[in-house]
Amino acid sequence: MFSTNYKIAHTHLTSNLRQTLVALLGVTFGISMYIFMNGFMGGVNDAQTKLAFTSLAHVRIYNDGPSDHTNLIRAIVPEHTKVRISNAKVIQYTTGIKNTAAILSLLQQQPEVVAVTPQVNINVFFRNGGNKLNGTLAGVDVTNENKVYHIANYITAGTWDNLQFRPDGIILGEDLAKDLGVNIDDNVNILTSDGVSHNYKLIGLFRTNVKQIDQSKTYINIAAARQLLSENQEYVTDMQINVQNYEVTEPLVSRVAPVVPYKVESWQTANQQLEAGAQLRNIIAIAVSLVILMVAGFGIYNIMNMTINEKIREIAILKAMGYSGSDITQIFLTQAMVIGLLGGLVGLLFGYAVARIVNHVPFHIAGMSTLPMTYHVKDYIMSFLFGLVTTLVAGYLPARKASRIDPVEIIRG
Amino acid sequence: MKNKIALKADHIVKYFYEPEKFQVLKDIGFEVKTGEFLTLTGKSGSGKSTLLYILSTMDTSYEGSLVINNELLTGRSQNQLAAFRNEHIGFVFQFHYLLLDFTVLDNVMLPALKLNKKSKEEIEHKAYENLKLLGLENQALKMANKLSGGQQQRVAIARALINDPSIIMGDEPTGNLDSKNTRNVFDIFKQLTREKGQTIIAVTHDDDFARNSDRVIDLSDGKIVQ
Repeated sequence: MFSTNYKIAHTHLTSNLRQTLVALLGVTFGISMYIFMNGFMGGVNDAQTKLAFTSLAHVRIYNDGPSDHTNLIRAIVPEHTKVRISNAKVIQYTTGIKNTAAILSLLQQQPEVVAVTPQVNINVFFRNGGNKLNGTLAGVDVTNENKVYHIANYITAGTWDNLQFRPDGIILGEDLAKDLGVNIDDNVNILTSDGVSHNYKLIGLFRTNVKQIDQSKTYINIAAARQLLSENQEYVTDMQINVQNYEVTEPLVSRVAPVVPYKVESWQTANQQLEAGAQLRNIIAIAVSLVILMVAGFGIYNIMNMTINEKIREIAILKAMGYSGSDITQIFLTQAMVIGLLGGLVGLLFGYAVARIVNHVPFHIAGMSTLPMTYHVKDYIMSFLFGLVTTLVAGYLPARKASRIDPVEIIRG
Repeated sequence: MKNKIALKADHIVKYFYEPEKFQVLKDIGFEVKTGEFLTLTGKSGSGKSTLLYILSTMDTSYEGSLVINNELLTGRSQNQLAAFRNEHIGFVFQFHYLLLDFTVLDNVMLPALKLNKKSKEEIEHKAYENLKLLGLENQALKMANKLSGGQQQRVAIARALINDPSIIMGDEPTGNLDSKNTRNVFDIFKQLTREKGQTIIAVTHDDDFARNSDRVIDLSDGKIVQ
């Protein structure tokens, strides 16, 4: 029976090819826009993430000190006790992370951790003659630092790995070097907050395209940094951790935080604006593409309605000859489905083509050369399913109307 | 066989509600024997077409009861009635009513494809036979919209016969035909009643057509006159 209904549906579709084509184009356009929008937003998010993670690890462990050291007595005396403290001084508390070897090995046992790097971060002044600029000096474990940040990719002069063998070497952000007026092999003088001054040799430059970083960050060997602070060989201020999927940091944080006596912070908590930006872009992409699909759906609904009004006598004849309501529904749903499937397939190809073309549009900001784009199979499957569902819903309503036509009313006129 | 009842209508009452309530059929009751060639006549507005649509099971809003082939059809669902029509009733409309985007052959085959009791080859063979009977075998592969009005009406008759229905109903089945073709269709109908025992109920204005049938029921103002 289905083959007969299919034959009728096929005849309806082919007898007015132009109308069928318009309906097809509606679906094609909706689906290709869905693919393009999602691919583009995905690309933008990826580019943003990549940019952000040049200076940001997925999880950071650091010593954030006592949360409130203005009135320590309040914690131990009963409430309503009068306490008077004048000229309070903050006593020295431990800075940095102790017992780093144990924490390192604990982190390396976690299954999702791909890289851990210890850092000694120091706020310093950079000096070159009369020129004084402040910034951060990062003492890093050269190999592991590169595993977390892929900093070697951003080196524009010198070699990243040389830092490992040069306790006197320093690598500067390009903008900072320019501001200081120093070139490769020049000396850079730094001054710590404790008043220690030291000369380093400039052995490399980097550019991450994050202005703030390029203007203020420098790298030296971690051993050299410990020496600068006169600290022991275990001394670390930050531990930076990368996990397999940067979006899933919560499990690691909740597992490690209770056993480590320091602050364990995911990038999402530290940089909620990035997370918010990514989420908002995703919402926009989905909203826009759903609207497009909905418009396409209305198009199909309209065309199906028109077809049914045109064929209303035929439907009446079919019913008079013994075709049931469900046969009629089947005939028109088949048409909608064929339109959805064909339009969907063409839409997938067209969407891919548009994405490819846009991916080649030049865009020279923040280290990009063309507009970013992603090609996730999931987007393609989702758009196809959405397109199919839209056409089925848009086709079902007119088909149901057709199935309820009273043949007597039409045939008697 | 002659005395079996093919169709029994009992106390059929029908109202039209638009533009105002109006009783079209007033307590109509009659029986049609198997193999009988019955014509319904009457002036315009006498209710003969309305009665035919009730007998054809397409119109279900009436009072009274309708029995065809010993099956009570009153009160059945639209889909049940559609299946019943498909198998047992062939219908020829006042105006041809073919599916114009299909070929003549497809038009004739459609009710049999729906019934789905024979293979496609058998159906096609039967369709060709029916078209030949009506002198249209050369038109079989043309599109229905390329045919003249009279040809289309004959195709509709060929279509009505495709499932060998026990009852063939026609609303002015020869209304668009010239006298030669009218004669031909009449002979075919007569032959079907005599040889295959199929029952014919036709509404007609053609006095000759009516006079030559087995029985005439004349309607006036929704009542049977004779």
